Amino acid sequence: MILAALISYPRAIVLGLVQGVAEPFPISSLGHAVILPRLFGWNIHQNDPYFISFLVATHLATALVLFGFFWRDWVRILKGLGRSLRDRGIDPDDADAKLGWLLVVGTIPAGVAGDLLEGPLRNVFASATSAAAFLVANGVLLLAAERLRRRAPQDEADDDVRIARQVGWAQAFTVGAAQALALIPGFSRAGATMGGGLLVGLSNRDAARFAFLLATPIIGAAALLKLPELMGSEGNGVRGPALVASACAVLTSYLAVRFLMRFFETRTLLPFALYCIAAGGAASIYFAVS
Amino acid sequence: MRNERLLVLLAGLAGVALVVLAIVYWVEPAGSLPSFFPGYQAHSSHVHFKHGLAAVLVGLACFVFVWFRTGPKRKPTAG
Repeated sequence: MILAALISYPRAIVLGLVQGVAEPFPISSLGHAVILPRLFGWNIHQNDPYFISFLVATHLATALVLFGFFWRDWVRILKGLGRSLRDRGIDPDDADAKLGWLLVVGTIPAGVAGDLLEGPLRNVFASATSAAAFLVANGVLLLAAERLRRRAPQDEADDDVRIARQVGWAQAFTVGAAQALALIPGFSRAGATMGGGLLVGLSNRDAARFAFLLATPIIGAAALLKLPELMGSEGNGVRGPALVASACAVLTSYLAVRFLMRFFETRTLLPFALYCIAAGGAASIYFAVS
Repeated sequence: MRNERLLVLLAGLAGVALVVLAIVYWVEPAGSLPSFFPGYQAHSSHVHFKHGLAAVLVGLACFVFVWFRTGPKRKPTAG
């Protein structure tokens, strides 16, 4: 079958492994999913319905890993949300409730923007050439976030208490809205939220933690809402490769999140910024001359 | 205090409007939506389920805001 040949199992494995790493890393998973097929000469286009269905499966896998990785935090956050609803207010000492509502406030603009802009942006910026250029821009944004970051005192021992104290409502909304940038292939959702976190005074580790918590509902919901397409006729011929790719994405995204949470204890976004500028620049030159 | 009540009233009205908007998105195809609605597409039979979902969730957020703002006042903690 032609569709099955377009995403063969070896290609699915490559795309799944890359998706698993590129989603939590601030280097744009969608950008890589657009650039790599062109670099390798694969006849896959990001607007092809079967490829979108394929990406849905890998994104769902990543969301499940993020949810599983922070499972205990989500239980505490959901309990905090329940407490605040019962008490009709957020207790100033209830960091779980505050963090939960910060995530809600951050998710709303990302969800609305994603719903309204996903289609138009995908049509306008579908090419690998533009994705490569935006990957460079993503690197510049990461550099700018590191340079302009606000260094606030980190005097709380608990991660969530620090985030709840440091991030205000307007800031959560702004950081959430910045996720809309990730609708453009080449810009990273994790990069936008981590960069936003740094600008409001979070440490690299807390910014990464906030970014992962913020990403989980939006990636999960977007993938779940498109899951019927994978199960329907648009998924014909790609369900097998999508399943294999998802398994690969589960493995690499778990390792990537684990790695990043340790990496950001002492390090910054700088290596990712340099990677984006170098990879995006090299891909742009290659596309221009080829 | 007056501004606070006005804010709560506006949030409540916005919540109701968004829930109504969600119902419109769910029952009307894109071609039958008012032309100023996001997602309007002439002659389209596509139903914007996700637009409706987004509207109802934002509407719920407005109701939560009203719920919190009309709850018992908390005393600020010392220190």
